[in-house]
Amino acid sequence: MSRLRAATGSVPPVLALVAVLGALLSIVPLLYLVIQATSDGLSNVATEIFDDATLALVGRSLLLCVVVTSLCAVIGTTAAFLCVRTNLPFRRILFVALALPLTMPSYVAAYAWVAERPNLAGFWGATLVLTSISFPFVMLPVAAAMRRLDSRHEEVGRSLGRTPVNLAFTLTLRQIRPSLTAGSLLVALYVLSDFGAVATMRYESFTWSIYGAYRAGFNPTRAATLSLLLVLIALAIVVGEEFARGRANLASVGSTTDRPPSTLDLHTWRWPTFAALLLVPIVALLLPILFIWQWFSEGASRNNNWSELFNAFGSTLWVAFLATAVTMLFAIPIALVAARIAKKWALATDRAVFVLHALPGLVVGLGVVAVGIRALPGLYQKIPMLIAAYVILYLSLAVGSIRASIERTPSSIDDAALSLGSSRLEVFRRITLPVAAPGILSGAALVFLTVAKELPATILLKPTGFETLATELWTRTTVFEFGAAAPYAIALILVAMIPTAFLSVRGWQ
Amino acid sequence: MFRAKKFLKVAATFTAVVMAVTLVAACSGGGSSASGPLVIYSGRSEALIGDLLKTFTQETGIEVEVRYGDSGELAAQLLTEGSASPADVFFSQDAGALGALSQKNRFEVLPDNILSLVPERFRAANGEWVGVSGRVRVIAYDTNKVTNPPTTIDELLDPKWKGKIGFAPTNASWQSFVTALRVERGEQGADQWLREFAANNPRPYEKNSAVLDGIANGQIELGLVNHYYLYERKNAKGNETVAIANSYAKSGDVGGLVNVAGVGILDSTKKTEKAQQFVEFLLSPTAQNYFATKTFEFPLVSGIALGNPDLPNLTTLVGPNVDLSDLSSLAETQALLQKVGLLTK
Amino acid sequence: MSDALVLSNISKSFGSVRALDGISFSVPEQSIAVLMGPSGCGKTTALRCIAGFERPESGEIVSGEKVLSSESIFLRPEARHIGFVPQEGALFPHLTVGENIAFGLPKGRERNDRVAQVLALVELDGFEKRKPHELSGGQQQRVALARALAPRPAIVLMDEPFSALDAALRPEVCAQVTQALRAEKTTAIVVTHDRDEALSIADQLVVMLNGKVQCVGTPIEIYQQQHNDEVQALLGDAKVVRGQLQGESVTTEDGTYAVTNAQSNDGVVDVIIRKQPVSVYKPKTD
Repeated sequence: MSRLRAATGSVPPVLALVAVLGALLSIVPLLYLVIQATSDGLSNVATEIFDDATLALVGRSLLLCVVVTSLCAVIGTTAAFLCVRTNLPFRRILFVALALPLTMPSYVAAYAWVAERPNLAGFWGATLVLTSISFPFVMLPVAAAMRRLDSRHEEVGRSLGRTPVNLAFTLTLRQIRPSLTAGSLLVALYVLSDFGAVATMRYESFTWSIYGAYRAGFNPTRAATLSLLLVLIALAIVVGEEFARGRANLASVGSTTDRPPSTLDLHTWRWPTFAALLLVPIVALLLPILFIWQWFSEGASRNNNWSELFNAFGSTLWVAFLATAVTMLFAIPIALVAARIAKKWALATDRAVFVLHALPGLVVGLGVVAVGIRALPGLYQKIPMLIAAYVILYLSLAVGSIRASIERTPSSIDDAALSLGSSRLEVFRRITLPVAAPGILSGAALVFLTVAKELPATILLKPTGFETLATELWTRTTVFEFGAAAPYAIALILVAMIPTAFLSVRGWQ
Repeated sequence: MFRAKKFLKVAATFTAVVMAVTLVAACSGGGSSASGPLVIYSGRSEALIGDLLKTFTQETGIEVEVRYGDSGELAAQLLTEGSASPADVFFSQDAGALGALSQKNRFEVLPDNILSLVPERFRAANGEWVGVSGRVRVIAYDTNKVTNPPTTIDELLDPKWKGKIGFAPTNASWQSFVTALRVERGEQGADQWLREFAANNPRPYEKNSAVLDGIANGQIELGLVNHYYLYERKNAKGNETVAIANSYAKSGDVGGLVNVAGVGILDSTKKTEKAQQFVEFLLSPTAQNYFATKTFEFPLVSGIALGNPDLPNLTTLVGPNVDLSDLSSLAETQALLQKVGLLTK
Repeated sequence: MSDALVLSNISKSFGSVRALDGISFSVPEQSIAVLMGPSGCGKTTALRCIAGFERPESGEIVSGEKVLSSESIFLRPEARHIGFVPQEGALFPHLTVGENIAFGLPKGRERNDRVAQVLALVELDGFEKRKPHELSGGQQQRVALARALAPRPAIVLMDEPFSALDAALRPEVCAQVTQALRAEKTTAIVVTHDRDEALSIADQLVVMLNGKVQCVGTPIEIYQQQHNDEVQALLGDAKVVRGQLQGESVTTEDGTYAVTNAQSNDGVVDVIIRKQPVSVYKPKTD
């Protein structure tokens, strides 16, 4: 553990309690999975797992996971470097454009591609879609880290005889490593959990067979067993990331200068590089939108009810806002505990939240159905239970972002405030919250846009008759009314654009 | 930073108030209740049955609340909900999902006066669900290029069709056909037919209507689809312009599988009477006519006119000797399709 | 003694601000030159031009035989062989002390020997495995110097090396740094705004104001010259007298003083005595 994380900071007991409650909430689906998986006896679990076909599936999923994560790491880091550290033309606008593919729901992007280019189906199609919509998970934190870099380090490096290219690998890459691995972790877990892209691209992955076990095999025990195996894989990845993140304390020594990091002059390569980088948002965002727009304007099945669109738009904003706010309520204490307390229970809280991120929405949704309908029947298929499912699904997105911003401030600041006579809760309100505010807002933006896109858990848990843009879109694509679906797809992308633009613009400050 | 802090404060207060109000408002009882609207879980889409349900409410005065979803996912949800389920009725797109719930004894047995409306082969043997409308697997063909279309699935294995057959690998009806193939010929027989079929390089399409597009634009000559896509196409583009016809399979051939959309009443309902009224409505002339004319499906109740004069009489379509309740082993079908390389890549 | 570095007529602007307005000075080999002036006078810009982090608009910088910068030539920083110690050291936080120092050294067996050697030079023997955040400010500063010295650069540049240190600690670190520089026979250019610091280490003083060099010379020469009011205010009131140096004290006609920079042999020396404010107290009455 790094020095800052090992430092015994203090967390107000109330907040520690909320953090533990949040972690317990996250465990609800796990609990359901364990009960369901062992319902036919433990030996059955072993047979399911050590089945050749199952192991082959693990291999296929991991292959996709490794390839997509590596591509995202390379594209995300390169894009961040080019936008932050070079004199690329229009780099600010380009940076925002590069972040926007985050708004694409995987099922929409995959549908758009496969409808236009059926030959893409399979591994490379899934790779294309997943990479193009999730590389910003890497780009955003890496760009932020690059902006925080101390320009003096590179100057010293050069005065010691190293070339800028050499320094980019030996110095810059090492210093942004925590952000790079954190972003890659989100991508890896997302790829494991995604169903929309692999289903549409017909790449047989682990989630495919989990879905199959539920809705084709009507075999919840097999589905639960496979899901638990997925949880174990995710746990291995989360622990692996902790090692990869490194134990170095990266809080800068001494104060930093006001001098912005130096920019690399690309000379004659400025415009060619710009054109090459522009290809990324064109492929990831513009082409799929054009395909969708084409369906709309062909309009064979166009019979739109604008008030339905308007209602769904409002409902989406509404649940996304509520879900984001409640997620923050739990995420802030969990992040605080994870950043300031070096005890086993704090680490467990943090990990529990992350592991859940690898579970497909259908699994988490059914977990909430199973537990919720028995524990709180009055709330079943009501907004609060839907919100609870969102919180469980996306707590990790918020925790990661907030934890990073708390970790960057030494706990000695808290001590100083305590010594000035503030209570611990007051320190939290007056010091920790404002200091973590950028991280909280970034986390909130990420949760907001992801909730807006969520489909499987929404279908299971939404109040009857309550429609979001995602469910309306689904309703129309299942009957192949692409023309009618197009406005919903575009509205959904627009909703998600607001927080995404915020994320990328915020990144510059 | 200051503005961020202020924004957070306002947002937090607002959320606290909203959550408190929602929680108080939501503390009513759960599960199916004797009062209130009839809750229907529907695997058939809103675009298809929305208008029909309005007619039901107008005719009977019974309010309905419908959750639309994928038939398989709704079945999984119903299984997970168990006896606490708020659902009263499950209207499924295919017999497989109904069979899965029936196996777990989640349905009430329907009264004889309802069951007797539908021929025996289109309802559950134990009386737990009943078919509402039927669809037949056919071999659609290009009338300009094909004079003697195949009438059995084994004819499709002839090398002369190499690269000329289209199908929709993810389509539920195609997969139901393969399930029937497994039930009828056993795992080995199905495996062998699928391998030989795959060796003939069939061309995959995203959906059934795209298969017909493929025939129309000359990419393929034969298409494995449901019967009604042809009539939908004729309806949309005009009878004369469509140079495609359906070849119905020889009687008893598994290629002519007749599948149904069907309905069952959940055992957790407290509104049995209203639920039965709904099932009766689906089998009434109004609804049967609706499906016949709107979707060109076969009405399952006798005495209802077909949606297109070209359609054969359902009684002439014998189909394979397969119990529709046995079509719930979809997972094994998908596994087999994956094994022979016809589903995923 | 020949010159290690010659700057001729260097100018540099940032937008409309003229940071360097045709400055010229030279630094003899193996000496310590101090660029002194208030903040914003251009001294740091001058240092960055020498290091190669900024490109001057006009003028020439020559090191020995090598032209570092001219109208047509601009040598990249990594090709200049000039060490750089930024403010507060700026050690690489993810590397140990040993790894920091080895950063500029070629891989090979001699690498570890050289690391140990320069660590000994700054009196931090055995600190190789420590992490930067485990060091005090003075220790960090010395490691930064060791890192710059390790590849045996022709010149070492130091930017406000002691500004972040405790006042009490400064003379000691200052002495250690000077000693290390002399032991390595390195030419050094130190930027500071602190008069005491400048006088205690400078062989040669370059006084800068408003982007121009006001005067260049040994401290004695500078204090013996007449200056305009601004420069005079910068230098403070002082007089130069003869004295007899013995060990760490010097005796002049005004009395005996402790010496802050023992850099010459015992015997007759010139002494700068600056006027310092004094503290006054009410006498205790019985």
